[in-house]
Amino acid sequence: MDSKRKVLLIDDDKDFLMATKLILEKGGYEVFLAEDGKSGINMAKSVTPDLAIIDMMMETWSEGFNVVSRLRTSETGKQIPLIMLSAVDLEGPYQSFEPPEDLPTVDLVLHKPIKADDLLRYVGNLLR
Amino acid sequence: MDHAGADPARILIIDDEESILDGCRQALEKNGYSVVTSSNGHEGIGLARSNKPDLAFIDLKMPSCSGMDIIELLSKEMPGIVLIVITGYASIVSAVEAMKKGAYDYLPKPFTPDQIRAVTKRGLDHRFLKIEADRLREEKERMERSFITFVSHEMRSPLVTIMQYFETLKVIADSELSESTRDIIDRCEKRLQSLHDLVDHWLDLSRIEDGSFSEAKVPLVITDIVDRSIEELTPLCQRRELSLESSGKADMPKILGDPESLLRVFTNIIGNATKYTPPGGKITVVMDYDDYYTYVSISDTGEGIPPDKLPFIFEPFYRARGKEERQKGSGLGLTFVRKIMDAHSGKIEVASREGDGTTFTLKFPRLYEI
Repeated sequence: MDSKRKVLLIDDDKDFLMATKLILEKGGYEVFLAEDGKSGINMAKSVTPDLAIIDMMMETWSEGFNVVSRLRTSETGKQIPLIMLSAVDLEGPYQSFEPPEDLPTVDLVLHKPIKADDLLRYVGNLLR
Repeated sequence: MDHAGADPARILIIDDEESILDGCRQALEKNGYSVVTSSNGHEGIGLARSNKPDLAFIDLKMPSCSGMDIIELLSKEMPGIVLIVITGYASIVSAVEAMKKGAYDYLPKPFTPDQIRAVTKRGLDHRFLKIEADRLREEKERMERSFITFVSHEMRSPLVTIMQYFETLKVIADSELSESTRDIIDRCEKRLQSLHDLVDHWLDLSRIEDGSFSEAKVPLVITDIVDRSIEELTPLCQRRELSLESSGKADMPKILGDPESLLRVFTNIIGNATKYTPPGGKITVVMDYDDYYTYVSISDTGEGIPPDKLPFIFEPFYRARGKEERQKGSGLGLTFVRKIMDAHSGKIEVASREGDGTTFTLKFPRLYEI
């Protein structure tokens, strides 16, 4: 391998960032962290990651969707795989939260907490 | 003023006698009320709609329109408005009828200014007490709702993060972990998972209770849901060496249901059966119907539920038995099931014999499409 693949993690929970970062680093990735949507979008421009993982609920219930929309319209963002993280089960009928109608497209939705094996496998598959 | 601070109370008087209207207006305006009057029933209704009075006096006997009809209409259209009948023939019968249609009080003719002021004050006191009570009830409900949302999210995020840390710990310290350390991590993870399930189930229940549970009911055949549930639980049954079979008529009729919550209902009950049935046992799901209901029975060959405990199994956090690890659940599973069944106008029945097993029967009203 010449250089490590770069993964950008955007989540407002510092501890969750740290826990996930360590797993990804163990998997051989270079990991960049952003604690809010805005700095995540800026960081995507500066580090041009190979993949980004975005938490759905940050400052607001649907901040993650905004970030994904912004990324998808940017040069870097429209080419790389995006993973949305969610602590709620969007499939379930009991969620009071309604996802927006024009759900921006992500490559994968994963639910927190994520098994380390699963995370590395999914990220590996998307970067293949 | 009776109700200081606020705008003056608005009062509407509908009576075909102009002298009564004038007299009432003078008596009431003297007390600072804002008064509008009409000598015509239809115009009076229009005034009520545009003016939104707190209280209205309505003459029962008018040539153009029956006071009784106005009372009936306004009490339906404007809940909370205080309606008081003015009646020239102060018969108990007509007063009672008016009260039944929604009037709060009545005022027999002839009456003095003091009398109308007394009746007005009492009516307005009633209205403002009612408004205050409604406001307090709404406030209480709102607080309960935001408490649930707050607690669930504040509990869920740290929990998820701790679970993620454990996952990370296993990855980064893999080779350094001794057998016993690994065992401790496993145990912690199991307890965390139970706590996570508890928060989820509690949230589900709260959402059903506060009405934000949006039921997406569609016509469906229960067999499809049961099949999905069985598919989901087959691996678990194999691990626990249990057989899981289902049978039903080919032409099961449709019911109206929310597929996702019904799936959880079956997964819950079959899941329970797996917990309480020893290896080698059998779980059988039978579907049937008659003219009124579609039935699904889930029977196991488990240890059964003692008769004295049977009445309580749908209560939150009640546990009939089960001290073993695999039998631990959130304690809310069956409570959830019953709520979902209620939301489907369905019924759930349970029969059990100690040592022989337990049968849960779910009944759903058949859907007759017109």
